[in-house]
Amino acid sequence: MLKLKLEALGHPTPNDVVLSNRKEFASTVLWLEDQKIRLYTIEDRAMLRNLDDMKVWEEGYKKYCADLNMPSLETQIEQLTWMLGHAIRLEFLDDPGQYEAFNSEEWGKQDNKKKLTPAPKIQAIFDGKINVQDKDFISGVRALANKLNVPHHPNHLLQLEAVARIVHERLSPAAKNRKPITGTPFPFEKGNDIVSVNDPALDYPMRILRLLQIQSLRELQTQINETIVSVQDLTANPKTDTKLGKVGF
Amino acid sequence: MVVRPYNDELKYLEKISDHCWRIKKGFQPNMNVEGCFYVNSRLEQLMLEELKNACRPGAVGGFLPGVKQIANVAALPGIVGRSIGLPDIHSGYGFAIGNMAAFDMDDPLSVVSPGGVGFDINCGVRLLRTNLYEKDVQPVKEQLTQSLFDHIPVGVGSKGIIPMNARDLEEALEMGMDWSLREGYVWAEDKEHCEEYGRMLSADPAKVSSRAKKRGLPQLGTLGAGNHYAEIQVVDEIFDKWSSSKMGIEEKGQVVVMIHSGSRGFGHQVATDALVEMEKAMKRDKIETNDRQLACARIHSVEGQNYLKAMAAAANFAWVNRSSMTFLTRQAFAKMFNTTPDDLDMHVIYDVSHNIAKVENHIVDGKERQLLVHRKGSTRAFPPHHPLIPVDYQLTGQPVLVGGTMGTCSYVLTGTEQGMQETFGSTCHGAGRALSRAKSRRNIDYKQVLGKLEEMGISIRVASPKLVMEEAPESYKDVTDVVDTCHAAGISKKCIKLRPIAVIKG
Repeated sequence: MLKLKLEALGHPTPNDVVLSNRKEFASTVLWLEDQKIRLYTIEDRAMLRNLDDMKVWEEGYKKYCADLNMPSLETQIEQLTWMLGHAIRLEFLDDPGQYEAFNSEEWGKQDNKKKLTPAPKIQAIFDGKINVQDKDFISGVRALANKLNVPHHPNHLLQLEAVARIVHERLSPAAKNRKPITGTPFPFEKGNDIVSVNDPALDYPMRILRLLQIQSLRELQTQINETIVSVQDLTANPKTDTKLGKVGF
Repeated sequence: MVVRPYNDELKYLEKISDHCWRIKKGFQPNMNVEGCFYVNSRLEQLMLEELKNACRPGAVGGFLPGVKQIANVAALPGIVGRSIGLPDIHSGYGFAIGNMAAFDMDDPLSVVSPGGVGFDINCGVRLLRTNLYEKDVQPVKEQLTQSLFDHIPVGVGSKGIIPMNARDLEEALEMGMDWSLREGYVWAEDKEHCEEYGRMLSADPAKVSSRAKKRGLPQLGTLGAGNHYAEIQVVDEIFDKWSSSKMGIEEKGQVVVMIHSGSRGFGHQVATDALVEMEKAMKRDKIETNDRQLACARIHSVEGQNYLKAMAAAANFAWVNRSSMTFLTRQAFAKMFNTTPDDLDMHVIYDVSHNIAKVENHIVDGKERQLLVHRKGSTRAFPPHHPLIPVDYQLTGQPVLVGGTMGTCSYVLTGTEQGMQETFGSTCHGAGRALSRAKSRRNIDYKQVLGKLEEMGISIRVASPKLVMEEAPESYKDVTDVVDTCHAAGISKKCIKLRPIAVIKG
């Protein structure tokens, strides 16, 4: 995914960005600021430019993050992902007209399929009671998300939905009393189902999505089984009568 | 049938890969598509020998050789893709057993053929697991076998011990396994682990003759005769550790129960009735086939629809039948071990159909099409993530239960993506006959067969010992050959090997 974003921004060597290397990371950040984000004037970029003395660079980077209003993200990858997203957004806003044809409606027409954009569920819940676009509300959601380590999303309502799920699945009393899952864990990237051998960027998220889908299907099936069992309580009356039995020749 | 010298016949056959042969058009008249069959070197010999024998001058009578039957099916109207022979193929009525063929639902000329389903509609295999191990069962093996034999009536003309009246039967035909659920004979989880969820919604008992119902009524919950059996088996080898653990099979030595049965006299009568009706329809609609046994009717004709609805009722009958036997097996085990079936973890691993025609969506030439898939002596084997397989097997692919012959081993396979593309998600169903029933009766002595099983330490209870030689392992192809061919060709994947320790037979 990072590679795709770098490619979209026209990075000269998107394949060679090694994220484990701090220096490499620093130069990628510098490239982003120089070419795309341009938050500072050229003179102000001096500290970021100082790749030879990483101490100075780190200091400059810290300030840069704050000036960019980057949410507090822990890992290098998260920070870079956020910056890339930010850069792409700026690039887009330079000339939105250019991308007008690239929207789901237009693509939907090409597929000859109608696609509905689902409104975030949360909006309906709060409708009329709380102004969900209120500044305080937004900052509250962001703070809550930070606390629970929910990744940043530009739409705070979607983020709130993710928060709700985590609370429901991990922190609710029912979840806390749940027995831990026993059995041998299986590395999910080793299943019989191959999505794409050459493209881990496609393979990995596909597997995760499929697992989530299977999980919700399992929940549905369990509910169905529970319903059947509750009906069985009323109707079941198995009988056998050995007198009827006859073994053939 | 075109009679040519054997060497001329061979010109129409071409080996396209290590495990697959192509049957070119012209092998039989009017072929709409090509045929193909999957074999390894040993099965290949059997296949070609059969053809060679049929080419001898003066060879008449009996069924046509399997290859010819595949080609005749390829000449039926509306067939798409290829007419496919699985490794366990052997001659049968019209269609060879182990032949699958798909017909385009959108083509008004497409046909449905009872010969493509077989007389024992929805004959199939169900596998129950337990949490017992061989060491728990060995000391009480004889008693347990006897107890199973006492619970499950077997043999020609046997009658079941679950009380049923005519109204119950009507409901069971319509509801399939839902009837067994409602009456409390099975668990909710059983339905989940059954092909088609144990119920064909298209069933219409009104399309079934009263003769069929009369034959079927007393037979519910009975095993039947022929190749049907119930076996107590132990896990002999695990090839795919992860998939097997998804099925609740953790280690070698674990005990499972395999039930192989169908729709008994009921299905047979439904098929017979349909054949009579269809002969008339063929004349009316001027449908020409290469073989009189390939009686068929257009899918959307009254006769075609009547058959499909009656067939679905027979399929439901078979599921109720296997469900009733599941109930009886659980009772027998619970009594033997003084506990409950729940505590023995006697869940259904899966339930497959061997003889059935179903409407399925497949990709043909890059486009999704709705097909009527005939599987006769062939098992559905859908790949991982197919929407029609249970959620528990979404990652492994559908379990495929392959019953061996009496006293040999059985296998559990899983479906693959390659099988979906090459064979419409179908694979083998068992060993497949090598000798005809009559020939087996002439050549093999039943005492020898029983003695041999005893030597192998397999307890056996049979209702009619004199028919046992028909089912002797010598009469069949080697199931391991069959399964290995499917595995090597990639149309399904080996998962578990099972070995019997007790057999109950008709």
